[in-house]
Amino acid sequence: MSQNVLVELSDALADAAEKAGKATVLVNARRRMPASGIVYTSDLILTADHVVEREEGIKVILSDGEEVSARVAGRDAGSDIAVLKLDRPVDQAMVAEATKSPARLGQIALALGRPSPDGVEASLGTVSAIGGAIRTGRGGMLERYLRTDSISYPGFSGGPLVAADGTVLGLNTSGLANGAAITVPAELAWRIADTLLKHGRIRRGYLGIRSQTVEIPEVSQKALKREQATGLLVVGVENGSPAAKGGLIVGDILVGVTGEPVLHHDELFTRLSGDVVGKSTPVDILRGGQPQTLNVLIGEK
Amino acid sequence: MNFNGRFTQVIDELVQRVMPSLVIVRGHRFGAGAGMVWDSNGLILTNNHVVGRHNPIVILQNDREYESRLLARDPDVDLALLSIDATDLTPLPPAPISPRVGEMVFAFGHPWGQRNTVTRGIVSALIHAHNRRGEKLPVVRSDVPLAPGNSGGPLVNAKGQVVGINAMIVGGDQSVSIAASVATEFVKKAVSDWVKEKAQPTPSDVM
Repeated sequence: MSQNVLVELSDALADAAEKAGKATVLVNARRRMPASGIVYTSDLILTADHVVEREEGIKVILSDGEEVSARVAGRDAGSDIAVLKLDRPVDQAMVAEATKSPARLGQIALALGRPSPDGVEASLGTVSAIGGAIRTGRGGMLERYLRTDSISYPGFSGGPLVAADGTVLGLNTSGLANGAAITVPAELAWRIADTLLKHGRIRRGYLGIRSQTVEIPEVSQKALKREQATGLLVVGVENGSPAAKGGLIVGDILVGVTGEPVLHHDELFTRLSGDVVGKSTPVDILRGGQPQTLNVLIGEK
Repeated sequence: MNFNGRFTQVIDELVQRVMPSLVIVRGHRFGAGAGMVWDSNGLILTNNHVVGRHNPIVILQNDREYESRLLARDPDVDLALLSIDATDLTPLPPAPISPRVGEMVFAFGHPWGQRNTVTRGIVSALIHAHNRRGEKLPVVRSDVPLAPGNSGGPLVNAKGQVVGINAMIVGGDQSVSIAASVATEFVKKAVSDWVKEKAQPTPSDVM
């Protein structure tokens, strides 16, 4: 049979596992069983933060069996991403290739890991959900995530989810969703890694308010000059917090940050991360039904 | 025909090619396991633990039942070779080379007594298990769902060649099922050794 599509698919999957397997490493940075990692650049490894229990004396075993020492270059518990710096650069052929097309629902994907020095391990599944944003339960927020029905074997955390062409769709971890495996999309994981390398950490803003989601009356929406169904009613302001210094008081309804609407808590969380930290930032509120903008110097958690 | 149509067709062809070689091996006290035709003149390969203490009954796809003779068994690698008085059987070709991690595999068997099932997965890892004698046993681990009744059945590749004999299930939980199959390279050697030793099986060889 010359045109056997089953054999072709099978060969393609094995090729994908072989290609991405070169970029899949063993990360020994905890007392229990080793975990996996992805070769991000020739001297950097991407892995899951929760499998890194020590900053120094980390051992990485490459796909060629060589062992290289590494240390932590940056880590973020919130998105469960850590970047490790290798003591020596590795062969360029071992560097992972991130996908150029984002994951699609239903596409087939391989979960790869290297939990033992014996070789790469794989399991097949499909992308069964693309979701986000979610709170990760580790004080962080993930803009987007993937779920698959592949089996996440022990030690697969930090390893790649791989498309049928061998490019990396994301980084698998069981550390974000109560032990269930989810995947941080490659584009996001790569971006987080870049930020970690620049700043050593992910900056998350701090305002110092307690709030609850409330409906915005139509008349106030008119005053706001936009249709926005909900905002955040401030029910508490911490003494000396950025919010207090900026003039926020109990009873204000927070409706926007930097001109972008904030409808619920998760959006506030997203708006407060990254660039606004440490900067005077316009915060839109409704006070007595009238829109106002306060400039608040956003603190850092 | 579009891709999905061709895909369905080749899977159907694969199943049609492998299924005639799948047998039921029924012990006298325990439930049934699976086995496969190894040789057209009646050699049947299965798991040692499926055989039990007596010569089991082998049931072919045409529903004919045969009293088998136990030619050899090795509990340490969980393999057993049976012989039945039948000819012109359809043996399965063993894969000429080791499988690759990621390639597709299909398990044939009778899980939970459900006759003639096919389950799909990929090769997860190629590992070596140590048996009680301290020997290294090459094992094909896969993410194929297996259950009791798959034991002794073949794990085949996309070409219908045998890459392993399904042997054990570590963690029966569906979510973390790890299927292990004794690699064909080992099975081939074990069977050829046995056949050489037991070229003339006598009643004394039978337990």
